[in-house]
Amino acid sequence: MRFILLLAGLGIFEGLAWAEVPQANLKQFRKEVEPVLKSACVECHGQKKQKAKFRIDTLDPDLLKGKDVSWWLEVFDVIGNGEMPPEDAKVQLTDSEKARIINWLSGEIQLASEVRRSEQGHTSFRRMTRYEYKYAVQDLLGLPHDFSRDLPPETSSEDGFKNSSELLQMTSGQFALYHAQARRALKLATVRGERPAPVHYGITMKAASAKVDATYAAFVQKKNKQIKNGVIILDDVQQKEANKYGAKQSGTHFKNLVTGDALRTQWSYGGAKYAWKPVAKRPEIPPVSSNVVIIPANHKFIIDVGNGLPDSGIMRVRIRAARASSEGDHLPTVRLYFGNQPSNDSRISANVGSRDLTIDAPPGSPRFYHWDVSLTEIPRNAFRKTHKLGQLPNPAEFLDLRNTSSAPVALVIDYVEIAAPVLNEWPPQSHARIFHERKEADDKTYAREVITRFMSRAWRRSVSDSEVDQKLALYGKLRPQCEDFQEAMVEVLASVMSSPNFLYLVRFNHEGKDSQRISDFELASRLAFFLWSSGPDEEVLSLASKGNLRDPAQLQKQTRRLLSDPKAKRFARHFTRQWLGMDELDYVKIDAKTYGRVDPLLMEAMKQEPVALFDEILQQNRPVIEFLHSDYVLVNDRLARHYGIPGVIGDRLRKVQLSTESKRGGLLTQAGLLTMNSNGKDSNPLKRGIWLLENLLNDPPPPPPPAVPEIDLADPEILKLTLKQRMEDHRNDPACFSCHSKIDPWGIAFENFDALGQWRFKISDQPVDATSILFNKDELQGMKGLKNYLVSNRQDQFVRAIVHKMAAYALGRPLTFGDRAEVDRITTTLRQNGDGLADLVFLIVKSDLFQLN
Amino acid sequence: MNLSSLDRRKFLRGAGVALALPWLETFAPPAQAAASSVKRKRLACFYLPDGVPMPLEKDPSYKDWSWFPHGGRKDFVLTKCMETLEPLRNELTIFSGLSHPAVRHVHGHRNADQFLTGADTGAMDDSYQNSISLDQVFADHVGEYTRHASLVMSTDGGAGSPRGAHTMSYNTQGRPIPAEHKPKRIFDMLFVKSGPDAARRLALSKSALDDLLEDARSLNRSLSEHDQKTLADYLQSVRDTEVKVKKAKRWLNIPMPRVNTDHLNLDITPEDPRNFLRTMFELIYLAFKTDTTRIATYQLGRENGVGISDYLARAVGFKGTHYLSHETKKPDGYKNFGIYCRFINEELGRFASRLKATPEPGGDGNMLDNTAVLFGSASSAFHLSRNYPLLLMGGRNMGFKHGQYLKYGQGNDKHQATAGISTDAGWRGEMNYTELPLSNLYLTMLHKLGVEARTFGGSTETFSEV
Repeated sequence: MRFILLLAGLGIFEGLAWAEVPQANLKQFRKEVEPVLKSACVECHGQKKQKAKFRIDTLDPDLLKGKDVSWWLEVFDVIGNGEMPPEDAKVQLTDSEKARIINWLSGEIQLASEVRRSEQGHTSFRRMTRYEYKYAVQDLLGLPHDFSRDLPPETSSEDGFKNSSELLQMTSGQFALYHAQARRALKLATVRGERPAPVHYGITMKAASAKVDATYAAFVQKKNKQIKNGVIILDDVQQKEANKYGAKQSGTHFKNLVTGDALRTQWSYGGAKYAWKPVAKRPEIPPVSSNVVIIPANHKFIIDVGNGLPDSGIMRVRIRAARASSEGDHLPTVRLYFGNQPSNDSRISANVGSRDLTIDAPPGSPRFYHWDVSLTEIPRNAFRKTHKLGQLPNPAEFLDLRNTSSAPVALVIDYVEIAAPVLNEWPPQSHARIFHERKEADDKTYAREVITRFMSRAWRRSVSDSEVDQKLALYGKLRPQCEDFQEAMVEVLASVMSSPNFLYLVRFNHEGKDSQRISDFELASRLAFFLWSSGPDEEVLSLASKGNLRDPAQLQKQTRRLLSDPKAKRFARHFTRQWLGMDELDYVKIDAKTYGRVDPLLMEAMKQEPVALFDEILQQNRPVIEFLHSDYVLVNDRLARHYGIPGVIGDRLRKVQLSTESKRGGLLTQAGLLTMNSNGKDSNPLKRGIWLLENLLNDPPPPPPPAVPEIDLADPEILKLTLKQRMEDHRNDPACFSCHSKIDPWGIAFENFDALGQWRFKISDQPVDATSILFNKDELQGMKGLKNYLVSNRQDQFVRAIVHKMAAYALGRPLTFGDRAEVDRITTTLRQNGDGLADLVFLIVKSDLFQLN
Repeated sequence: MNLSSLDRRKFLRGAGVALALPWLETFAPPAQAAASSVKRKRLACFYLPDGVPMPLEKDPSYKDWSWFPHGGRKDFVLTKCMETLEPLRNELTIFSGLSHPAVRHVHGHRNADQFLTGADTGAMDDSYQNSISLDQVFADHVGEYTRHASLVMSTDGGAGSPRGAHTMSYNTQGRPIPAEHKPKRIFDMLFVKSGPDAARRLALSKSALDDLLEDARSLNRSLSEHDQKTLADYLQSVRDTEVKVKKAKRWLNIPMPRVNTDHLNLDITPEDPRNFLRTMFELIYLAFKTDTTRIATYQLGRENGVGISDYLARAVGFKGTHYLSHETKKPDGYKNFGIYCRFINEELGRFASRLKATPEPGGDGNMLDNTAVLFGSASSAFHLSRNYPLLLMGGRNMGFKHGQYLKYGQGNDKHQATAGISTDAGWRGEMNYTELPLSNLYLTMLHKLGVEARTFGGSTETFSEV
């Protein structure tokens, strides 16, 4: 019995999936709890009296199978809160009696809830998650758009997974959204008529600076007039206005590299003074010029494109850029924002480039760098068609190039070219993938071809004649109401994409619904949704259609191929984020008073690091134990600085070997995870302890009683205590002891890390005390001690936990008692073969868990 | 009974939010028996941009031109700014000390966006996220009983821009619902014809739904009993949608209500501001009277005066509206601003009186008794996003109590901490007084409107005195 073991101090923290089929702990009840209840409660809640119409002596102590669970929860509440026995009762509970009741009840409640969960029955038949829908539509249509944005967010299962079959609901509102999004997506994927003519902007910095120069000339003229008329005096102008146009080297400025003349850049939204107009013909690319704009680190340069960009299509932004200086190893990086400002306090801009560009061209030898941006995916100005340039609200849009370098390195640009829409071919591939070249003149025959091809890709399997006939009949019905063939086909294909055959991970079995083994098509989908969060590609589907996918060698080969594809990044991202509960990190608010303004790029790196470590361990097939401790980290320059690691240059996360004295390595010391488990102001040992138990060791502690006594910070005595002492004080409350004694020691070991995950020696002038005693009397000496302890005593548990978590993710359902043997087998095999993370993926894919129903 | 530990997850599942139907929302199902079985409850919300006159007590204009009344809960005295509402004194409640906590420190020009939502719309330059507005929560509830779920209007029209909204209404995803601004278009939409594409659109939907039901049924046959339960969700969703399409289709055959247009000039624009405003109010009145919709929002103007709505103050002889809020420290500054507010209140009062004078068609009392009318701004003094000036009228039959001036919060007696501001130091300044969330009032309103929401926009409680 799990709970007893803990009380006995054996300290084997085992998730329920590893326990024998659990039984209610009636023995402990009879021995320790029942006598206490009899003496303290039965007088008022027994045979003679039933105050509040409640009788305790007849409650069924079996919380797993009994019918009195809700009453027991009440008992748990009132005793935990100290509401019962009432103050004036003759018999009061001693602290140890209270603890005995609470101990027993909290264990039983936890157990009962897990049993109930696992008895619900599970299957992998489920709707796609929101993010899977996004990728599946992208992959199916070959579009970069995110069509999932309006869908409601997913609830996480108790394991933390969003792809858990029992939680993926469908409502009529959601269904309508799927249908509407399918239509929208198909309309964007398909085109009509002639190739749209692109618009072009070719902007030299010479011309850009001339705009400012003209403003400056007008300004000088105006001021001269005012001086002449005695309205102002020259000194004032010089003092007040000099900064407006004068170039400070610290800000963005135009410069003539030959003459050294410099002029500060200017932009304002009003009057379209700085707006560029597009031209129909692509301007010739001018030779490299000495008239440039210089953007220092943390500065931006705005290019106003007026309201000349089209509504849709790809916008290509090319900049001819170079480093400003060849000194140092740091290369500047630049990020593309896009936005608009209709009036003075209404502005929006968003990071629209998929990545920052690293400018590596040496000074004097600029190169072109570019971004491609989908114009329907970014915030557009709602006034761009209703208002004229120069009017208010201002209909213009702007690009905003920001130097995001972490070191003070500037970049130099002399030419910017913008074109939209950029089309490599016409009709675009997304269109041709649906409407292939038409050889048959007959609409109906062609419709059949189009539908058959599209359907088998969308439904991830071969489709039967009768299924195609049904869609063709729909086409027949719709065609007379539609303007043309294409419109009717879009409606039909939207129906294919709104069908449960697309939206759900469907069982598809030639061998009938009672077959144990899943079909090849089902295997193909499982594999692809596991590793790509999307449907399988043509190669996997074609193997499945021949029945070859289940061949172990072929399956191994395909798994390896899927893992080495860029789409496998989705697996790293979504599994890691869900496994570690990283959504929380998005919501932590860093206390500005304690830490100042936190660099958003540091937060970005924090979010990337766990995913990058997972990806590294996966791609290199490193042992999973490296999640507990590794002698390297994956950092970029900002994160390295946060960790005090010298010599890292550049914004991309890369593997950096740690010195032996380093405090870092593995997941436990990652700044993002430490920050996530803080409250933004200080560390939170409780959160950190629970997170370690739940996410890494798969041993969730029981939930707290509903009205836990708060730590009273108004009490001056308590205020004097350190956080650790406060927790110890709180733990002395018998209602809290049973849980906290199992959580706190783990969390205390993290105390050398502050709320941002930085190492600290002192907490408000007192040395950090990160030493704690585990429930089983083992001592943890800070993070090093914790890692040592986990690596030497909890390896098996950790490996089993990650096998369990990954299997739950791969199957898209919570595991049950019935899955235990198979998970044990995978764990043993994995351990025997060196714990490789990629091996774990292979083992799961080959397992009966994955291949049987 | 407390089942928190065991049923936490079930609870979360149940909390899933129902979504609006973008392509169906203008074709809500017909009332049919609805009128008799469901008592009509209506909601009209109006937004005044750029705040109201907030002179300091020592300012000579304090007595006459403060927007907020003088005196206490029952014995309050309306100033000249407000006295045009005196005849409706027993039909209204004035509130102070309410604001949206998430945006108490933003510039007043960014306020219209979240007035009805309470969302944290973020700092300039951030990406932008809003949330569902009060009226749309109510529309999800009663929208199906009328031809139009709700009527969304503004003087400037469209959606506007992030932090520069031209609409008060936001859907479930927090996206703006574009506002109508042309009286002719609004009238046609309400009383002349459905969108030309409507019938065809519905027919297409019907065929697609039949086809999807067929897909689901044949899939269902191959599923285990357990999985059939999962798919039942899907089947139900398609059937629900089918029912909605059928109901929407029926509207096409139900004749539009006949409305006398003799008194309306539908080609009017804000260049004739008084008559434009009257026309917009009148359209809401007619829509309510014919039960074409039960919900209307009307944003009187865009914040910051950039747009046609800045003409409104021309009705009372000023050249524009927005500058009135800037020039309060000039001679007669508060008075001028007050004269404009008085004009707005006069038109608002005319609308409310018209509702009051009209017996509820086939129901109890008059139309005002069954209509909650909310009016307010999310700025009080210059650019200050606190102590919103708020008025609530009507809705007696829903249990609203009136003839009150309710002051919430502490430490801002006579509004002096939020008065006399004419620089940006005001909105940037610390808040040394407390206010309560405006969403508490919104949640109270939702409950009286018959929506059993647990929370709305960060509400913490409801107000029993309202």
